[in-house]
Amino acid sequence: MQPPSPPHHPGERQPWGAITAFLLPALLLYAGFTCYPVLRTWWNSFHKVLPRRPDEFLGLANYEALLLQDDIFWRAVKNTLTWASISPLVEVSLGLLLALALYAKIPGARLFRIAWFTPVLMSYVVVGILWVWIYNFDWGAANAILRAVGLKSLAHAWLGDPKVALPSLVFITSWMWTGFNMVVLLAALHSLPSEVLEAAELDNCGWGRKLVFVIVPLVKPTILNLIVLSFIGKMKIFDLVWITTKGGPLWATETVSTYLYKRAFEWTSFDLGYPSTIATVWFVIVLGSVLLLSWAFRQRQKLEY
Amino acid sequence: MAVVTLEGLSKRYDSGSAQAVDGVTLTVADGEFMVLLGPSGCGKSTTLRMVAGLESITSGALAIDGARMNDVPAKDRDIAMVFQSYALYPHMDVMGNLAFGLRRRAVPKAEIERRVRDVAATLGLADLLARKPYQLSGGQRQRVALGRAIVRDPKVFLFDEPLSNLDAALRVSMRGELIRLHQRLKATMIYVTHDQVEAMTMGSRICIMNRGRVVQIGAPLDVYRRPANTFVAGFLGNPPMNLLPARVAAAQEGLEVGALALPLERAAHLPPGMPVTFGVRAEDVAEVPHPRAAGGGIRLAAEVATVEPLGAETILGLQIQGSERDVMARVGRDSRARRGDRIEAWLDPAAVQLFDAATGDVIPA
Amino acid sequence: MLNLRSLVRAGTILVLCVYTAFAAGPFVWAATLSLRTTSEIALDHFALPGILHWEKFPAAWYGSNYHVYFGNSLFVVLTAVAVVTVAGAMAAHCFARYRFRLNRVVYFAIFSTIIFPPQITILALYQILVQYGLYNSLVGLALVYVAIQLPLTVYILESFFARIPSDLFDAARMDGYSEWEIFWRVSLPIAFPAIATTVILNTILLWNEFLYAVVLITDDNNRTLPLGIQRFMGDQLEDVGMIATGLMIAIVPVILVYAFFSEKLIQGMTAGAVK
Ligand SMILES: Nc1ncnc2c1ncn2[C@@H]1O[C@H](COP(=O)(O)OP(=O)(O)OP(=O)(O)O)[C@@H](O)[C@H]1O
Ligand SMILES: [Mg+2]
Repeated sequence: MQPPSPPHHPGERQPWGAITAFLLPALLLYAGFTCYPVLRTWWNSFHKVLPRRPDEFLGLANYEALLLQDDIFWRAVKNTLTWASISPLVEVSLGLLLALALYAKIPGARLFRIAWFTPVLMSYVVVGILWVWIYNFDWGAANAILRAVGLKSLAHAWLGDPKVALPSLVFITSWMWTGFNMVVLLAALHSLPSEVLEAAELDNCGWGRKLVFVIVPLVKPTILNLIVLSFIGKMKIFDLVWITTKGGPLWATETVSTYLYKRAFEWTSFDLGYPSTIATVWFVIVLGSVLLLSWAFRQRQKLEY
Repeated sequence: MAVVTLEGLSKRYDSGSAQAVDGVTLTVADGEFMVLLGPSGCGKSTTLRMVAGLESITSGALAIDGARMNDVPAKDRDIAMVFQSYALYPHMDVMGNLAFGLRRRAVPKAEIERRVRDVAATLGLADLLARKPYQLSGGQRQRVALGRAIVRDPKVFLFDEPLSNLDAALRVSMRGELIRLHQRLKATMIYVTHDQVEAMTMGSRICIMNRGRVVQIGAPLDVYRRPANTFVAGFLGNPPMNLLPARVAAAQEGLEVGALALPLERAAHLPPGMPVTFGVRAEDVAEVPHPRAAGGGIRLAAEVATVEPLGAETILGLQIQGSERDVMARVGRDSRARRGDRIEAWLDPAAVQLFDAATGDVIPA
Repeated sequence: MLNLRSLVRAGTILVLCVYTAFAAGPFVWAATLSLRTTSEIALDHFALPGILHWEKFPAAWYGSNYHVYFGNSLFVVLTAVAVVTVAGAMAAHCFARYRFRLNRVVYFAIFSTIIFPPQITILALYQILVQYGLYNSLVGLALVYVAIQLPLTVYILESFFARIPSDLFDAARMDGYSEWEIFWRVSLPIAFPAIATTVILNTILLWNEFLYAVVLITDDNNRTLPLGIQRFMGDQLEDVGMIATGLMIAIVPVILVYAFFSEKLIQGMTAGAVK
């Protein structure tokens, strides 16, 4: 036998130098611009944070005020959650139908695909301005079309009426993102093994049954990912609202982002502590609902397979 | 000029797991073609990668020409390796692939160019220098991988199952090419395979491994004829050696194989009643009449259980009375035996190997 | 039977065409507006341009500080994309290539921030940038952009790097290349398609970014394009024609990038969602 060798630590010969060097830039950025800000926001949420003044500890006062007394906040939460739960369903189901239409070898598919993808490329700022015009009461395209087809009574000040303002905005995001969902689903459909669909063809399934029993289950992982993606996107929505309504009229379109921005930079209190409390609470809500969503999807998955 | 010495080389990947390589001691002489042979997972690749410097050595010593290499990084060991997957750089053409290893070594440009063209010419790649790997056939890729090792003119070549991705015909021709290459370069080569034919035909010596340990080292025919234990006996050869459980007979000189008594002088030295394993190769079993049978030997009554005509020869599975296992016999291609025939079989007593049933090790004659 | 089938088919195509008009219409409309003067527009909002008023583009470009905004956007986006690509590729290479304890933990820690809402960092980032004199500076904004695109970049690149067979790296090591050179000369060139995808994706996402910019930039001379457009709209509230021209200037680079790299971009945007 050999002389006893020194105790071996697995990984002792890993090139730790190289590993550190490769990770360092990313980790520094991650620590400095993600971890530290998150912790600092959390810390802020227990304080009154004024410029050029030492932070004043408030304990849970901010949380109490926010959770128990702040009606606008809850309004914003309700608006954002409504938005985030309706949009994914609309976008993904419409996207799936369009993708199926294109998958069934419609002529000019490439052109369609490019046209449908354009809205995603524009920023919310551009989209917002365009739709402010489209929704314009006097000369916007929406009312022009309604009047042209004789539905004059349905013409609205779309963004000025508290009752329809939020749905009008949701409509914009659906317009924007349906094409994206369609393209992704199309890619997923194309990556399906063609034998599966051919087998369904042989079984003489109609399109409807094929859709429900073969296609949807197969692209389900993609559908679920898209729903989560869309959900997360709407939970952070800011730009579109800021450009179009600034949360008005009468907080009808206030989202958590816009409210937070207003409390931080537009209210004359100059306090960053209270908005940080909003951010913290919202963070917990977003994280919780994303986890809940993925958990629910996983349960469904388990039940069905 | 390179002698590679492995001294109790061991590897443990994770602290909890078993040793992947366990105390391998092996000296590869200068200019030798050493084959590492063994079943899947026995640690051949791991051993090779430790020699290459791609895997750290848990314990033991590795030396090249007497200089300790344990802590020398791969690039300074002057070793080239050919991978099973070829590992060609997909973004470079053949020229770039061949030259990549030289660029790092401060070889002048003109010299690189000359060496690459030389090697490409000898490997028949001269017309392919501008192609990308995906534009090459499997055999051509293999040659590029080989060329990449050769241009570097290293002290030691390592091969990890380089032919296993090729089809059968190509494998045979590449085998010949590798043998010629070795004869021309006279370099030290270590070659990992689990293909016995490659091992037998190419190796100066074979090192057989099992479960991370070296089982036997020797020239191919020596290992074939005198396996060190039942593992080697059962691993080498097609069909492998016949191995039957037996015990040394108490009454007369010989063995009891099941209910059968076999006369065997060599058994006389062994303590009566000792359990042994009786081994004989298929080519040392024959169907009577047979020229070798004339000079005496062991004769047994047998029934033909299976017949495998392979063209050049026929393999018979013989059911011998009293023995539980069939005995394989390699007989001439013109054997007329049919299934169910009763024949007389002959064994060459000089070719019989006995193994200690407890340890599996061979009992020297 | 056959007739019914072709009827259904024709119906499908019709629906698709209507949807296409709906999806692309606003953009086409904006394009027509950008070439018409506001007084022309006031007469009929939906007419095609009679005279093409190309002179509106230079007018918007110089008259409204657009060239400054455009330059700022270009600087911020290019800097951020360059840094995030290199830093992200280095990290992704490391996660894919080395087996070390905590590998998956660190990877997941970075990756999971994809779902963080921006609100959770934005106020603190504002404070931090103010503190370090990076508030209202393009460099500060670029750094923040790097951080927000890092998880996505690492995610896309890691999944690509992980598919490079490790024999290739071993071969390069035997050929005498250091870990750093292997990254530059083997990993990066092989991963070029994935790198291109992340570059294009990050460029478009950051070119359109608004929230961080509006919080972290105040000075007019440091505004990026989305902020510029917003200001422009505030200034010229009634000048629809001019605003439309401004919008087109912001859209055109993105459309150009898309026209050239549509396949790559679609790949990138689908990469995360399709498994
Ligand atoms: N990177 C690794 N981490 C942990 N265990 C490993 C690793 N590589 C190999 N092993 C284990 O070490 C043992 C030896 O593996 P090795 O690759 O050397 O076998 P091999 O003889 O080359 O087999 P094959 O003929 O299939 O290539 C195996 O049990 C394997 O599971
Ligand atoms: Mg192996």
